[in-house]
Parts: sequence; structure tokens; C-alpha cells
Amino acid sequence: MSDQQYQTMMKRQRRWTINLLAVFVLGWGFTSYQHIFLGLILGTVFSFYNLWLLQRKINHFGEAVSRQERVKTLGTLSRFAAGALAILIALRYDNHFHLIAVVIGLMTTYVVIMIEFMVSKFETSLRKRGE
Amino acid sequence: MGLLAAAIAVGLAALGAGIGNGLIVSRTVEGIARQPELKGSLQTTMFIGVALVEAVPIIGVVIAFMVMGQ
Repeated sequence: MSDQQYQTMMKRQRRWTINLLAVFVLGWGFTSYQHIFLGLILGTVFSFYNLWLLQRKINHFGEAVSRQERVKTLGTLSRFAAGALAILIALRYDNHFHLIAVVIGLMTTYVVIMIEFMVSKFETSLRKRGE
Repeated sequence: MGLLAAAIAVGLAALGAGIGNGLIVSRTVEGIARQPELKGSLQTTMFIGVALVEAVPIIGVVIAFMVMGQ
């Protein structure tokens, strides 16, 4: 039951990030703020990669600990490198990407994680009150 | 000078992330070893903790690269 909680959280976070990405793509296609939305898209894509990597690594970590095996890394360096790569791309092609928008895009999944956590806590407390 | 600032920023960010992640991971390992049936909820708590701990160092790395790039 509790393992299902983690899987549900993973799916919801991925779904909300992809929805946000779709909104940014619509903004890029239909508004005149193209280089801001392109920056947001670049940041969010790398942020989504970070989210996927973190979910995968923590899943492997939990499985390995319950089987009493060793885990070498949690992939922190890979996530730092992904953030650095996004900024390097934005600095190299600065006429296409807005730099601050890339930074905001990189933080998108953290906002999604916090909001998802608050919503799931709220839902759990409502369910407990109803019982 | 910018290079030194970037190096200090990334170094301190990595140090902070290392200490924070270490604390979270050690407590999670203890918890799962004691009660393996709570693995899912402990993983969820660990996930949120690690994500929030790593948000600030990633910003640190980003600022370091911005300082280096200008």
C-alpha cells in the first residue's frame, strides 16, 4: 500500500510537469514573448530530466536498502551537471533563450513537487476526517 | 576573480548538499532497516527532502556558471 503512494506521487509529478511544458509550448507558439517561453521550455526540459533521475535513483535506493545491498550514488553530480548544461546552452545561444527564464524553468519541478506534496497531504487529511 | 567566486560557490553548494543528503539518507536507511513495510512512505519523505535540499545548490551552480560566462 505504501509503495503505491510513492508510485502515485511519481506519476502525478511527471503529469503536472508535462502539462506545464505543454502550456509553455503553447505560449511559445501563440504569444510574442518567444524567447522567454523558449527559455522556460529549455529550463523545464532539464528540470524534468532532473526529476526523472531523482525518482529513478530513489526508487533504486529503496529497493537496494530493503534487499540489504549497497548503493553507490544518488546522482547529485548528474543533476548539477544538467543545470550547468542548461545555463551553458542559454549563454551560448543568448539571442534565442532568456537567461532568467531558463533559471525559473530549472526550478519548475521543485515548485511542482511542493504543490503536489501539499495537495496530497490535504487529500489525506480530508480522507481521514471522512472516515 | 570571477573564476574564484564560481569555484567557491560550487564548492560550498556541493558541501551543503553533501551534508544535507547524508543526514536524510542515513535516517532513511535506518528507518527502512527497522520497518521494511514502511518503505514507500519513507521513500516519499526522502524524495521530497532530497529534492528540496538540492534545489539551492543547483541555483548555486547556475549562478557560478552565469558569473563565469560574463
